[in-house]
Amino acid sequence: MTDPLIALRGVHKHYGDYHALRGIDLDIRTGEFFSLLGPSGCGKTTLLRTIAGFEEVSEGTVMLGGQDMRGVPPNRRPTNMVFQSYAIFPHLTVAQNVGFGLRRRSDLNARARDTLVADALDMVGLDGFGARAATALSGGQRQRVALARALVLKPKVLLLDEPLSALDKKMREQMQVELMRLQRQVGITFILVTHDQEEALVMSDRIAVMFEGGLAQVDEAEALYRRPASRRVAEFIGTMNVLPATVAGDTVDVAGLGPVPLSEIGHAAEGGGTVAVGMRPESWTLLAPGDPAPPRATDGTVAEVVYYGDMTYYDVALPGAERPVRVSMRNLFGSDVLEIGAPARLGWSPGAMVLFR
Amino acid sequence: MLRAYTLAFLLFLYAPILLLPVFAFNEGTVIAFPLDGFTTEWFGRLTTTPTLHRALANSLLVATASAVLATALGLMAARAAVRYRFRGKGAAMGLIMLPLVLPEIIVATSLLVVVVRILGLPLSLLTVVAAHTLICTPFAVAILNASFSNLDPALEEAAVDLGETRASTFRLVTLPLIMPGIVASLLISFTISLDEFIIAFFLTGSDPTLPVYVWSLLRFPRELPTIMALGTILVIVSIALLTLAEWSRRRGLRRTGAQDTGGFLAQ
Repeated sequence: MTDPLIALRGVHKHYGDYHALRGIDLDIRTGEFFSLLGPSGCGKTTLLRTIAGFEEVSEGTVMLGGQDMRGVPPNRRPTNMVFQSYAIFPHLTVAQNVGFGLRRRSDLNARARDTLVADALDMVGLDGFGARAATALSGGQRQRVALARALVLKPKVLLLDEPLSALDKKMREQMQVELMRLQRQVGITFILVTHDQEEALVMSDRIAVMFEGGLAQVDEAEALYRRPASRRVAEFIGTMNVLPATVAGDTVDVAGLGPVPLSEIGHAAEGGGTVAVGMRPESWTLLAPGDPAPPRATDGTVAEVVYYGDMTYYDVALPGAERPVRVSMRNLFGSDVLEIGAPARLGWSPGAMVLFR
Repeated sequence: MLRAYTLAFLLFLYAPILLLPVFAFNEGTVIAFPLDGFTTEWFGRLTTTPTLHRALANSLLVATASAVLATALGLMAARAAVRYRFRGKGAAMGLIMLPLVLPEIIVATSLLVVVVRILGLPLSLLTVVAAHTLICTPFAVAILNASFSNLDPALEEAAVDLGETRASTFRLVTLPLIMPGIVASLLISFTISLDEFIIAFFLTGSDPTLPVYVWSLLRFPRELPTIMALGTILVIVSIALLTLAEWSRRRGLRRTGAQDTGGFLAQ
């Protein structure tokens, strides 16, 4: 394997008494779309800012392209940033904003600069917007200007600090696709900070989940979803039904479902203390009367129905389980939506289970 | 009822000022009704009084110097106050703003004691400049505080991120965006210094500023109409400068797309 583009080793950050980053070890490869995901206050933005150079680490090293970045200010790092507020200079035009970082490039004459700016604007779909005042743009357009302004410098790493949080849902989904397309097109390493797990799952090659200044798990989207390292990660990424369980010998007794052989359980997450079993909502099958009986099935009662059009979420109460389990079903043509109080027979398989202990 | 009250209030506030131009164009030397006839003689006399010109030049010099100094100090104080957290910030800012609420006569007396008795310096236009800088700085800080508060810190970070140094960032991003605030601060400080009398009266040496000169003229009743003419001009210039300052401040807000949060002439 080639050397990682970014290597963080034992990175700590203190603000007075507050311990914002607690021993981060992380490698990010060239050309990766990498996300830092976590709840607000988990240190993800601080970590991004230490890579950008806006925060100096208290302990540990930040290596970028094989060079120690200690004491290197942001203007001399091969990184560029897209700020949460976009930070578009309001006193300049769109073209002047995009060309801002090219001012220092003495190897370019005015015409070469103009061409680069025009190309960058074209790339983000703002062809012909160059002469407009930056203040006359919509939120989505500002976002694109911020992207063009950073990408025109061809940095080794593009840092994105919650870039989509200020956009409405439709625009956000559109920009997610756009960002992925851009990243493939320019081949630059993207590091995205987000608190939105869906956004991280959709866009990233790999995701680092952070809690309280530490890394909880660094993995690909599917691995995070299917094989979470801890109950906390499992519950942060998507929905996870967690059923209390007890281990006796080589079987697990799951509340509401009965004994399951340990060897059949799909994934085991170590650490956390109490034993429990997790199942994703889509891992259950809601059986209609007359369906062939699967190897394992349990009877329950519908406690809540949430209809989403393409999907319906049911909360199904199982005898012996404290809380109802959430089950998602696709609304296929011709299938009926169950009502609250209706009996529900759930098929399940130990292979889809995650054991926490 | 409220309308009548407001009208009475405004009349009470501004009637004396409205009388200035009335008597400035009145032919009689006695400041009393009935009026005699129309004349521009008093304005003409302004142009032929060398001592007045000297005083005016002094005032312009003092006002310009005080405005520049107060704005420069205000710029540093406001940036520090908005951008950084440090020990004793509240106390430091409170002390900077204190001259706003201190009676001018107290400021003037204590400055006189300090300059003459403790420092042993001769009174001159320089002492007036120093004192006027002291009383103008709070205004400069108040205006520039608002400018910096409306400036997204990410803008400065973005400039650094795009390759600029701290110094060039200030020149390319910070300065242009707070320029309207700087202009407003310069104009208001200039106006305050130009109109200030008590401190100038205490601290001026043999070179009087304009208000001090006007005061000295009051001993000669014959000169009263000339003072009226001079006063008329001063009122017009002051209003023009303040209007310009407020216009500049609002232009700055529009430019940064920020919300108007008041200012000196609230709407």
